[in-house]
Amino acid sequence: MTIDPSSSSDASHSPAGRNGALAVAVVGLGARGAAHAAMAGTLPGCELVAVADVRGTARRELRGLGHKAPAFSRLDTLLHKITPDAVFVSVPLASRPALVRAALEAGCAVFSERPLAPTAEATAELVALAASTNAPLAVSCPLLFEPVFDAARRALRLGAIGRIADARASMNASRVFGARDAARMARLGRGGVLAQMSAELLSLLLVMFGVPSTVSATASRLYGDVEDEMHAMMALADGTEVGFDSSWSAPGHPRPATVIELAGEGGRLLVSDDALELDLTAVRGGYPAGHTRRRATEMDEPARFDLGGEARWLEDAAFARWAQGSEAPLNTGAQALLTQRVIEALYASVENQGAPAEVRA
Amino acid sequence: MTRALVVPRLLLGARVLSGVTRASRDRMLELAARYREPESLAVTLSKALDAGAEGVLCSPSPALRAALTELKRTVPIAAVLPGLDVRERLDFEPTLEPLLRRAGAGAPFGARLRARFLGVGAGGDWARRVPRLVELEAAAVSRAERCAVVLAAPIADRALAAGHARLFARFTDYVRRRFRVPAGIETGNLGTMLGSLAEWGVTPDFVVGPVNPRGVGMKPDRDATLAMLRRASVPVLASELCAGGSIALAEGARFALENGAYGLVPDLADLDDVPNELKALAR
Repeated sequence: MTIDPSSSSDASHSPAGRNGALAVAVVGLGARGAAHAAMAGTLPGCELVAVADVRGTARRELRGLGHKAPAFSRLDTLLHKITPDAVFVSVPLASRPALVRAALEAGCAVFSERPLAPTAEATAELVALAASTNAPLAVSCPLLFEPVFDAARRALRLGAIGRIADARASMNASRVFGARDAARMARLGRGGVLAQMSAELLSLLLVMFGVPSTVSATASRLYGDVEDEMHAMMALADGTEVGFDSSWSAPGHPRPATVIELAGEGGRLLVSDDALELDLTAVRGGYPAGHTRRRATEMDEPARFDLGGEARWLEDAAFARWAQGSEAPLNTGAQALLTQRVIEALYASVENQGAPAEVRA
Repeated sequence: MTRALVVPRLLLGARVLSGVTRASRDRMLELAARYREPESLAVTLSKALDAGAEGVLCSPSPALRAALTELKRTVPIAAVLPGLDVRERLDFEPTLEPLLRRAGAGAPFGARLRARFLGVGAGGDWARRVPRLVELEAAAVSRAERCAVVLAAPIADRALAAGHARLFARFTDYVRRRFRVPAGIETGNLGTMLGSLAEWGVTPDFVVGPVNPRGVGMKPDRDATLAMLRRASVPVLASELCAGGSIALAEGARFALENGAYGLVPDLADLDDVPNELKALAR
């Protein structure tokens, strides 16, 4: 028997969500998984129907916090007993691909933490599986849902600054300042600051500019075996170069700070966590000439529940809408695969002392 | 005979010092630099009290402790517990054991002894284990300083999402009985919280949450939050008055009070001239 003994619900005959609600399950009850479980009940037309975690303590803690959904130690048992419509997979990377596969094979829409799998090849297999079963597959990338960055993307799409001549982006945080921090981060996943932190920014850049044809990068290992800083240039097919810098050993960044600066034929765009700024030579794309600044706190806040910021809820809501039949959000599995291919090319360049590396199509 | 609990109407918010803020990064760094020395924080706290603030809303921290020891006077503290830094808040793992261990390591013997008997046989139930954590963490603030105990949003909002009414009821009851100070709830989902508390019939002494004309941080949305605020039976202390720096403090404060807020919590991040701006609010 794999049902959590602490669960008082009878899980054996719980089908899907009530009244046609999207039946949501969460596997992996760490910080992210527990947050998905908490937010599931606040998403329109969704109901949390089950959770799973191999750790009895994690299941007990979630129940102790007040969640009444049946808890299982194994995803396969959950899928057999409950048949959810959508599954959030928030387990550690080592077991993530197998659980994503199991949920997809059960016909569920799947939302996974990033990355989907340790390698691009393994990610490609899961993306192909999702395509073959026609199941929505999303991969977490909250930055794509931050209203201020969304506004920047919209301005770019509307041609506010015209053709891009120069692009620079950075993401910095104060996280790793010693061997102990480095060892802790190395345990969490493959790669360093690029794979674990700034992949989100990379994903946003790919959505904004498309996939680069070649990349070159250098990295610094300050405290351990994985890179703490990365400096990269990415060449787009049209010849535009996008600069990319990232560090998790930068003082003065208790929260990760993301900045994108663009110079185009019609002016400049600067977007950060704090604001979107435009300096335009003329009226373009519906934006006025001259300087325009919109603070992040002046953007619409459509999230209905706050559990660590606007983007987290919006990301979960976009996935739920996709699973309910609406259009795909930006953070699809296919998009995550592109990001992972660029990451692999960047690491290949680092291994070759910054020599250009091609991005596999 | 029990003493009536008095809910403060004006608290100085020092949550920015724990990184809990919607202020810009530049503003956060500016304040961190300004209050790096305990003396400068001590002076600000003292001036805030002189200007009419009834206490300070913050989580106990070494920096705050250092500032308080600089002062000869007692600074009333509305202690937000458990004390979590910005990263712990963002990625809060809902497991109490590490927090209990950490709090236990820093707590005096008496608090550890009392905590041992709290939550015995509770299994995993947070309703019975959160008081234990509060007992251990509250020891960081002396009895004379303690003017309220506030449940931190990462726990409160997760319990809210799960519909755990008993957790709020037990927390409130425990704080009132044990510390004889008002029990508050910090939330990032004020409208939802007020609605749920009313539905459950749970009445903490106050709730702290965002209220401002722009609706920044007001969940589920601005209008629903204002509607709940106007008919709330629980006093609300309005925070995020400046909507992350996009409106003036006086305007935010007026808006909050006109819409039913019982009191105000302007944060250090909202204040340029702490004594004068607080004096204006206290009037």
